[in-house]
Amino acid sequence: MNLGQAYFWICAALAVIGAVAAVAAKNPIRGAMGLLLMILSVAGLFLALHAQFLAAIQLIVYAGAIVVLFLFVIMLIGPAASTPPDKRGLPSRIVGAGIFALSGIGAMVLLVRSALAAAAAAPDAGTAPPLPPSDFGGIDTLGRVLFTHGLVPFELSSALLMVAIIGAVAVARGKQSDPTVAAKTAEPSKTRAKEIAS
Amino acid sequence: MITTNSYVLLSAILFTIGGIGFLVRRNVIVTLMSIEVMLNAVNLALVAFNRSMPKAHTGQLFAFFLIAAEAAEVAVGLAIVISIFRLRRSVRTDEADLLKN
Amino acid sequence: MLLAFALSPLLVVAIGALLLMLAEAFSKVRTGLALGTVVVFFAGLALSASVWLYGLESIPGLEVLAPWLIIDRFSMFMNAVLCLGGGLAALLAGGYLPEHKIERGEFYSLLLFATLGAMMLSASGDFLTLFIGLETMSIGAYAMTAFRRTSARSAEGALKYFLLGSFAAAIMLYGFALLYGATGHTDLAGVGAGVKSGEHAPMVLIAMVLVLAGLVFKVSAVPFHMWTPDAYEGAPTPATTFMAVAVKSGAFAMLLRVMLTCFGDARSMSWSSGWPPVLAWIAVLTMTVANLIAGRQESVKRMLAYSSIAHAGYLLVGVVATMKNPAQGSASVLFYLLTYTVSTAGAFGALILCGRFGAEAVSYEDLAGIGRRHPAAALPFSLFLISLAGFPPTAGFFGKWFVFRAAMEGGFTWLTIIAFLNSVLGAYYYLRVLVFMYMREPAAGAPIATPMRSGYVNFALILSAFLVVVLGVSPSLSLDVAVKAAAAFGGGAG
Repeated sequence: MNLGQAYFWICAALAVIGAVAAVAAKNPIRGAMGLLLMILSVAGLFLALHAQFLAAIQLIVYAGAIVVLFLFVIMLIGPAASTPPDKRGLPSRIVGAGIFALSGIGAMVLLVRSALAAAAAAPDAGTAPPLPPSDFGGIDTLGRVLFTHGLVPFELSSALLMVAIIGAVAVARGKQSDPTVAAKTAEPSKTRAKEIAS
Repeated sequence: MITTNSYVLLSAILFTIGGIGFLVRRNVIVTLMSIEVMLNAVNLALVAFNRSMPKAHTGQLFAFFLIAAEAAEVAVGLAIVISIFRLRRSVRTDEADLLKN
Repeated sequence: MLLAFALSPLLVVAIGALLLMLAEAFSKVRTGLALGTVVVFFAGLALSASVWLYGLESIPGLEVLAPWLIIDRFSMFMNAVLCLGGGLAALLAGGYLPEHKIERGEFYSLLLFATLGAMMLSASGDFLTLFIGLETMSIGAYAMTAFRRTSARSAEGALKYFLLGSFAAAIMLYGFALLYGATGHTDLAGVGAGVKSGEHAPMVLIAMVLVLAGLVFKVSAVPFHMWTPDAYEGAPTPATTFMAVAVKSGAFAMLLRVMLTCFGDARSMSWSSGWPPVLAWIAVLTMTVANLIAGRQESVKRMLAYSSIAHAGYLLVGVVATMKNPAQGSASVLFYLLTYTVSTAGAFGALILCGRFGAEAVSYEDLAGIGRRHPAAALPFSLFLISLAGFPPTAGFFGKWFVFRAAMEGGFTWLTIIAFLNSVLGAYYYLRVLVFMYMREPAAGAPIATPMRSGYVNFALILSAFLVVVLGVSPSLSLDVAVKAAAAFGGGAG
């Protein structure tokens, strides 16, 4: 086992541990730490895949912004952020997750089998792909691609960011400016509808 | 030997872990983190495929925009979480049964 | 210059959204926002029509946008339908939001940007722009659903919509990533060529399943419909209108483009080894389940939500019909989207009109006797419901007629019979509203719904009623347009 392989296996193991910790944690803060671990290991794998710029972006945006946003919300919500385990609807959830896991494993088996078949058909295909040019995935090259070939999606993504800003403001801005009495008088007719419905 | 397939397999494992987390957990924040895990898996697959096809930066470009879009999505998602917490004092998704018949 | 002209429907919506946002932020006057939004949408509609009439063939330089955006007759048609849907939703918002005291300028910006996202979605020629458009549209829709900040219903509907929507997007993205791995392309045409060559079969198959699951979720077909009733009921009614009309149209445009371009080769489109049987069974499930549940609802808004799921089922029948004849099948879907847009927006508009502040019309009981007390509100409502049920001489009849005919000519007799039986089943709950409006009196002591007064809502109702009647009496012109728009997929079956 050479250094490159060891690096892959370490990063892969850490990513899987982090992912499991993120989804299984009782305490969401631990979950966020698991997410951080996974993000860091994926950034490490990006480096091995000649994607230096994306590794940096991964650290800045995911670790620096998204995880911090998660932590911020967890802090804001306080103790309510960690909900006690509850068994309601557990069987259906387990069945759903089981189906998902089985189809995931099935898909992986299919992929591995076809990869093995391909490797058997062409023995040299199993080796690592040829080394890309040294500037591949660097900020210079990717930036050039972004502003030439990728200009259209770049411009379009401004609409995406804009709608997210407005959306977050519209949803989370403090109390509504109009009297809340208004909303309270509006509720009864709905609760009545709910009574009829149930 | 570490080939593209190893990376893709790893990303499939991460994606499945995230999906299971999404379906089993009932804490909204954890559910959101599960989605993040799934999207990181997508990014990993894109970059790994791009490594095996180094003629263009298609996969890396896609991953770049994916990261940007994810930040946007999480911002709105957490805004909804905060708004629901203000009203209900809880972040459990199965308390979103107010609307069930 | 001509390139800007070809893009003008997109540009006018984007610039309009920005200008209105600035106007909202820096001026004290808040009243003109709804009007401005409506003007922007109808400008988008008019520009799409003029680009169509000018002819895209005579506009050079469109290949600059390749492969990101495909500006063709299909996307122009979708632009027009989406602008019409957005414009009707904006008109309804102009009446509804002030009446229910939740008017804030952000709603109109969200509406405009979300429509822009849907337009990008229907014009996208690459998974990347497709994803950006989809996210723009969805994030706008999530935020509009959660717009009523003091209502737990609104927030929870939005949460459910957001969580399931992001999950579906993640699944679809993994499918895109696998398709990229298998074909080396993210542009739809390149992926289509790669899929056609038949290499990497298992990976393409897995990707197809993932992409299909995401698409089916976005058009809210059974079994991925759970979010629809909750989000539709929790959202403010104009936002519901937008979701039922524009989000659904955008999603169907995406479905047609992706399935016919990426998976349009002979093998993927065959009955034995492709996607048509999957979509056919989903269509059957969607129609039947949605119609059965819709009949049991006591809330009219929720009934309309299930009705929109059922209509997704009829639309999927049209998508399945593309197997034999891509042009005819997609033309029937496009025409159906147009008729569905005007009927559904009208029905939600009439529901808005029936409820004042503090007494929003929600259940069937709320509507009891309204036909006698307020015929001006009940009459258009009846027209839209008859159109949704698919009776002549309304738009809905011809929408169904062309979809069923495409399915029949494609050889799907059994599917057409099931769809027909379902529309008979569906007529029950639409007509039930009419029964309540005209033949029942409100129970003693129950709050009596009184219609609100709003020029915006009246205009929206008049406009959609006009279109429902015109499309129902002489559908030939718009059908002709839909056929031309769908000609882009003529050679899809290759």
